Amino acid sequence: MATTDQIIQRCQSLFEDLHFTAAREWKAAEPDRKVVGFMPIYVPRELIHAAGMLPLGIFGGGDQIEVIQGDAYYQSYICRIPRSTIELFLTKRLDFVDGMLFPSICDVIRNLTGMLQLIRPDMYAHYYDMPQNYDDRVGGEFYVNELQELRHDFENLSGNEITDAALRVSIVLFNRNRELIKELYILRAAEPWKVPATEAYLLSRAGMLLPVEDHNVLVESYIKAARSADRPRRDNCKIVLSGMFCEQPPLNLIKSLELAGCYVVDDDFMLINRWMQEPVSETGDPIEALARAFLHHSTKTSATYEPIEADKGQYLVEAVRKSGAEGVIFAAPSFCDPALLERPMLQDALNAAGIPYIAFKYAENSGQMQPIREQAGTFADSIKLWGENA
Amino acid sequence: MVTTAGIDIGASAVKLALFRTTGDKTEWLDKSCYRIRTQDPFALTEQAYDEVLKRNHLERKAIDYCATTGEGESIAYSTGHFYSMTTHARGAVYLNDQTLSVMDIGALHGRAIKIDPRGKVLGYKMTSQCASGSGQFLENIARYLGVAQDEIGELSLKSDDPEAVSSICAVLAETDVINMVSRGISASNILKGIHISMADRMAKLLKSIKVKEGIVMTTGGLATDVGLIAALNEAVTAQKMDVKVLSHPDSIYAGAIGAALWGAYRHTRLEELAANRAA
Repeated sequence: MATTDQIIQRCQSLFEDLHFTAAREWKAAEPDRKVVGFMPIYVPRELIHAAGMLPLGIFGGGDQIEVIQGDAYYQSYICRIPRSTIELFLTKRLDFVDGMLFPSICDVIRNLTGMLQLIRPDMYAHYYDMPQNYDDRVGGEFYVNELQELRHDFENLSGNEITDAALRVSIVLFNRNRELIKELYILRAAEPWKVPATEAYLLSRAGMLLPVEDHNVLVESYIKAARSADRPRRDNCKIVLSGMFCEQPPLNLIKSLELAGCYVVDDDFMLINRWMQEPVSETGDPIEALARAFLHHSTKTSATYEPIEADKGQYLVEAVRKSGAEGVIFAAPSFCDPALLERPMLQDALNAAGIPYIAFKYAENSGQMQPIREQAGTFADSIKLWGENA
Repeated sequence: MVTTAGIDIGASAVKLALFRTTGDKTEWLDKSCYRIRTQDPFALTEQAYDEVLKRNHLERKAIDYCATTGEGESIAYSTGHFYSMTTHARGAVYLNDQTLSVMDIGALHGRAIKIDPRGKVLGYKMTSQCASGSGQFLENIARYLGVAQDEIGELSLKSDDPEAVSSICAVLAETDVINMVSRGISASNILKGIHISMADRMAKLLKSIKVKEGIVMTTGGLATDVGLIAALNEAVTAQKMDVKVLSHPDSIYAGAIGAALWGAYRHTRLEELAANRAA
């Protein structure tokens, strides 16, 4: 049985490889294979998979890439993920990618679609519009049409017909993946010392880079190894991280939070892995099933519309209660409109529920962790020594 | 009875404190301070920890809570970590129960902390990243002047015409000192000038967090520098603050003391929570 260290080492190698060797090798293994990249926060990977293509998560360049050309495409008050994504394309690190999906998370990512159409005119670049109205008769109909359009586009791109049967097989595989990630999060909430936040992160991130079949095996092995691993329990406080759903934090930031005395028991990293709170129906019309799951079982995030004002932020209060957390750390990328504009309303909800919180900003290439350690460390101390359970 | 250890890894020294707490009674069993110099701080800490335990006929498993502070957050055998401000505040209250604010002046930076009588941090301000307000800077200057570290304070007190250091930048201040030496300024006047410069910065930090009265306890490696303490008292008087800056012979252990005492508190609290859950 592989140890947690061995599994995480593999995940770390995948994470650090900005030439995406694993995806390149997957593509080269058989002729006519295609790779479709996607950006945060959600795309229906089942459709890409059912067309016989590899869905590849492009989550920016992190702190490993120096952005030179990418800066010329965006103003200085725009977040970093679009710049580093452009840099990845301009430096040919993503020259093997055959298509890209840009979900409707914010205007910046939407506009990236057009830029990529100019930079890579040979590549399929699609702005993937998700409904903001969750009524079956309005958003539902719109979304079914959007999914059908994607199905048609992917059939053209791959040269393979996406049959209902193939799509159902993909749904089963991704349901299993979501189930395993859920199990991982439940284990971490119950025994956070067994699943360090950096390991949970790297394991989830590997799912953006590997075929789902391989990732399922990897997560299953990790959970088994983590359960039996003998790791010391520290007197840390338990916190929920909020605001990291798009531009990802540097790994050192996550590590710093844990070293500063915080066990991360829930987060919104890579929400795509946990987007559907319930399994997608494995019977009936698969497109309808994907649409229904999106409308009725999507996770809550700052980037989704909440029509009832009183319900604003309740998902975060619920996440705290469910995971047994003692506080919330808001950490959002600088200039991230969805996270930062929503934060005051989320803070109001936490204030009303008597849940302590702190807030700071980062960029994917932030290198100075001392102020963050200081903030998180004093927050952890205040919870342990002066909080509800002190 | 709860036995706890506090380990404070600073930039230039590792400090350890061993405590035994029985109800409200606290007994300080032992203490140790080791200079890091060129050694690996974590290997040194482990060696120091085992030495202190051995001296007290204890094994690691006999320690109910091993609390780290400072740079000790990644130590695998610790039970929990507390941030430096939290531990220095608690340690300062232990050393003087009238303390209402703390000046932690260590090798790399200085920090003013406002606290309540329980040792709860109410606010703080730190020096910037410039090293001119730090112990490391003072140590460098002493080396240029050929003065031993423990002579700095007494020499500074003998100053009759302190020479102002014109810059708040360590690099430029060091240039100033070289010029002063070539102009024949005495070591005591140079050191007093540096103490005044450092004290002014610390007094401003204290004022910025609205400390207006009471006892200010100094902690960290520079707390035993009598010349600096004198300069600090002059600086707060000049700033019209109704405070008294004090030190304690064990001020350097404040972080380790605070860690050990908070460790004892957390151990007891965690046991209570576990008992409540079981019930």
